[in-house]
Amino acid sequence: MGDFEIPRPIRVDGEVVENRAEGGENLRLRLRVPGWPGFLPGQFVMLSPGARTSVERTDPLLPRPMAIFRTHPEAGFALVEILYRRVGRGTRLLAETLAGQALRVVGPLGRPFPAPVPGERALLVAGGTGIASVYQLAARIQGLGRTEVLLGARTAADLMGEADFAALGVALRVATEDGSRGVRGLVTELLESALAEPGGARVYTCGPKPMMERVARLAAAGGRPCVVSLENHMACGFGVCLGCAAPLAAGGYALVCRDGPAFEAGAIAWEALP
Amino acid sequence: MSEPLDTRVDLGGIRLRNPVLTASGTFGYGNELAAFLDLSRIGGFVAKSLTLEPRAGNPPPRIAETPSGMLNAISLENVGVEAFIRDKLPALPEGVTVIASVFETEIERYAEVCKRLAGVPRVAGIEVNASCPHVKSGGIEFGQQPQVLAALVRATRRATPLPLLVKLSPNVTDIAAMARVCEGEGASGISLINAVQALDVDVETRRPVLSNLLGGLSGPAIRPIALRMVWQASRAVRIPVCGVGGIASAEDAVKFLLCGATAVQVGTANYLNPAVAGEIADGIAAYAARHGFRRVADLRGALELPSRLDP
Repeated sequence: MGDFEIPRPIRVDGEVVENRAEGGENLRLRLRVPGWPGFLPGQFVMLSPGARTSVERTDPLLPRPMAIFRTHPEAGFALVEILYRRVGRGTRLLAETLAGQALRVVGPLGRPFPAPVPGERALLVAGGTGIASVYQLAARIQGLGRTEVLLGARTAADLMGEADFAALGVALRVATEDGSRGVRGLVTELLESALAEPGGARVYTCGPKPMMERVARLAAAGGRPCVVSLENHMACGFGVCLGCAAPLAAGGYALVCRDGPAFEAGAIAWEALP
Repeated sequence: MSEPLDTRVDLGGIRLRNPVLTASGTFGYGNELAAFLDLSRIGGFVAKSLTLEPRAGNPPPRIAETPSGMLNAISLENVGVEAFIRDKLPALPEGVTVIASVFETEIERYAEVCKRLAGVPRVAGIEVNASCPHVKSGGIEFGQQPQVLAALVRATRRATPLPLLVKLSPNVTDIAAMARVCEGEGASGISLINAVQALDVDVETRRPVLSNLLGGLSGPAIRPIALRMVWQASRAVRIPVCGVGGIASAEDAVKFLLCGATAVQVGTANYLNPAVAGEIADGIAAYAARHGFRRVADLRGALELPSRLDP
């Protein structure tokens, strides 16, 4: 999907600079990563589950895939910013990590979003933790054409990164299920009205499976191309554990880590995706 | 301290620059980890198991985390033996020792894959994965029945002149007996253990965590079981043993060498740290030097036993 120079991934210990609660179960992590090679929108890192300590911990065992929200490059390192939600054992330990502690970082990994087409209207639809996956895309394509960002969450407290998107200057609309922020309802309802406007547009989406599936259907019904960024459990992130298989409409599987996370929506067999 | 340490080992005719291999199914076809690990730092790698035809594998969910380990049920997903020979092998850097792994659902097909690999440049040996369900035995693993295992080793031994390792299933009551079967049928060496058959469930959904219901447990959780089996197997046969199971550090690897392994394979730990196999190779050398060994090969079986247990 498009031609770009993909940065060569590194494996390094990053130092936690900041790890703070942002409301609800959401947190923002800033990690000082030496030798960071840069990244492209849609790529991710694997993070050790919780701080590395003097004794190597084996439980929980596996690193966690995390979208790269954005980075702040400096001389010889970058501050890598991650927005995440405390949902399970790994992210609970991550939330307890203190400034000065180390996390193992492997990345950047995965194929980026396809290169944007200048002048094209872009509709970015994201919900839940999927919001973190599209921020860099919004930053990259903003100014190339009309860019509209539609964010969804259950409640205002669950909503990630709204102020960051607003600061980009993109057209931003928000929906929450309880109406505590923005429009009451689902973000897909915002997409329906956006798609009702005439003219070409490309839809990009990341979020819970039912949301992405609905976005893909709406885009297809409206004759607009749609790119989905899939989230999945994975043990490695670089194509060897084969744990993150996503079923394809054409049969067989793609690996979310190696062949994605960005896919053409029509390539995915949604009914077979867990 | 004047003589340099000799790190080389001979694994049933496969000459390795050091005793650290990576385990099949955890290292792809070799190049996937090249960004993180200089492959010349390790003894070699065992490639993802190959079948005659490309196979797609199981539906998701395929993996799940468990205490100090993980479950997987990937099944037979691989590119097939022809694509391995045509596309994967030529892409590898020079000087990397490659062991091809073979699994299939019938003995004749195992032998056919071995035949296709004969004479292929770059393939230093074959590892036969005996943990695959045997279709004709109703899905029981080849390595769980001595007579089926014997037939498998016999057929694959005849099919290739290459050094032949047999990777044993741990899901048996007498691993020493299985090791002797392999030796009796002419295997060059044995690798053990493969993943331990296991199950986990999600109580909220009341479903198994894997689509396949059962999976293979790997990671540090199985290491003491693997070490026990390597000890028992290596005392039962004269052919070399390659230790596999939860190895994540040089200290772990040395334990397997002391208990009788000639070499080791690093598996699940590659997922956490794709450079770990190189670190383990360096760490074994440092251990050997620190303990006054001139050859890493001399660590094999160097376990000090309490006198009442001495053979």
